[in-house]
Amino acid sequence: MTPAYPQPGVDLDNARFIIAWRERGRLVLQRCRGCGAMIFYPRTMCPGCWSPDLAWVEASGRGVVVSYALVHRPNHESFNGEVPIILAEIALAEGPMMIARIIANNPATIRTGLSVKLVSDVGRYPLPTFTT
Amino acid sequence: MGAGSSTVGITGCGHSIYLKKSDRTLFSFLAEAARDALASAGLTRDDIDGLAVCSFELPPDNAVTLGEQFGLSLSWAYLGTAGGAGPVASVANSIRAVESGQAKAVLCIAGDNYDVSGHYRLMDRFNKALINYGVPHGFGGANGLFAMIQRKHMETYGTTRAQLGRLAVDMRANARANPAALLHGAMSLDDYLDARVIADPLRLFDCVLPCQGAEAVVVTTLDRAPPGKGVRALAARERHNHPVGELTPLRGGWELFRDALYADAGMGPADMQFVQAYDDYPIMVAIQLEDLGFCPKGEVGRLFDANSFTWQGSLPVNTGGGQLSCGQSGAGGGMIGLVEAVRQLRHEGGERQIANVSRGLVSGYGMVGYGHGLSTSAIILERLP
Ligand SMILES: [Zn+2]
Repeated sequence: MTPAYPQPGVDLDNARFIIAWRERGRLVLQRCRGCGAMIFYPRTMCPGCWSPDLAWVEASGRGVVVSYALVHRPNHESFNGEVPIILAEIALAEGPMMIARIIANNPATIRTGLSVKLVSDVGRYPLPTFTT
Repeated sequence: MGAGSSTVGITGCGHSIYLKKSDRTLFSFLAEAARDALASAGLTRDDIDGLAVCSFELPPDNAVTLGEQFGLSLSWAYLGTAGGAGPVASVANSIRAVESGQAKAVLCIAGDNYDVSGHYRLMDRFNKALINYGVPHGFGGANGLFAMIQRKHMETYGTTRAQLGRLAVDMRANARANPAALLHGAMSLDDYLDARVIADPLRLFDCVLPCQGAEAVVVTTLDRAPPGKGVRALAARERHNHPVGELTPLRGGWELFRDALYADAGMGPADMQFVQAYDDYPIMVAIQLEDLGFCPKGEVGRLFDANSFTWQGSLPVNTGGGQLSCGQSGAGGGMIGLVEAVRQLRHEGGERQIANVSRGLVSGYGMVGYGHGLSTSAIILERLP
């Protein structure tokens, strides 16, 4: 049985991001039409130039581990059977940084600098989640 | 705040008992600290016309409704918004409020009533970004985020757990001279290194014990201080959301205001006789010491190797044991160092009193956003001659 993970809130600022992941397993990011910046997490306006004119673009789903933690005491009981949770700061190929979970059979193989890509099972994890 | 004040300062300090768990209300801890601080200042309730409070659990109450609970008629009320950086900022703002005539005497209180599970609940609803993009990953609360910061510092600069452990061990030695500390047990470097893993590379003694308690100071004109008990602020600064857009930076707002802070005080880091640094994790004390000029960025490991941090040490840090050994009373963790600083400068440090101490630095940090603490603050304090 799939454990009941805590779910993100969905609102008009982030619905495209949440739904693209939930329904298609794809990562979408905002691109500012004012200054060209790629943005994560979703905002109502570009934090760089304050333009409200933001487009949604599909990302490659690839990135590189910048730092990581092996969490043995998660914040919610639904994760207790899956420790350690591999929590990573990931530099996405498109530029933005993201904090996300990595799924790996052996957490000891995780290293800074490792290339990661989105997991392929659609609908299991509440947010874009990566694997090696 | 910028430059300090020669006429307004801190004239009293106090704290409540710290408890791991009890049925007591938040108000009862805030009130206990308030009474203790008033007595220390030699003032009564009727003297207080300003109230500044920092507390995560206070909502739906606020500074004004806390005033009602305490029966205070207020001409100035301030609710801190900067987490663990808030209490230091609240004192700087209270000094300005008294200088500008908005209040005659301000009671500054910070505290919460948490236990371990309460702390995780707090982090699960801390702000929209964490709720939406951290909590659903099983991020592990602040521990998961600061583990990433510590790993990055270790891999970037070669900082070791043994170096960070020296600080934790010395702070525990300080706590053993502080009857108010919750954690009194002797701790060796091996105890620190071999402790249970919480969020690798963080282990148990890298993490604070969430608890119940409160801290308080009184800010008023220094001529009202009991003889030999006045403490003035030479300089204070705060900065929020620096560096903009980084998730797990190895630096904070201190690096932006450090030079102005020391220029306003007319002295530098070498003149500080102690540092009370915000110690949610040893790695954050390390980053504060770098950003506040005690060593160049990335060289804190060598600073740790070359110094001792007990109250008798070459660089006394968190002379009461800090949050890591006293417990973290929520937002009270942002005032525990300030109260310890005032206590030391009033020469009321008891067993752990630094000899002939006259000035020191207090640093605040907090308000975890999407990845790290967004808020920083610092104040330089001096004992009135
Ligand atoms: Zn823009």
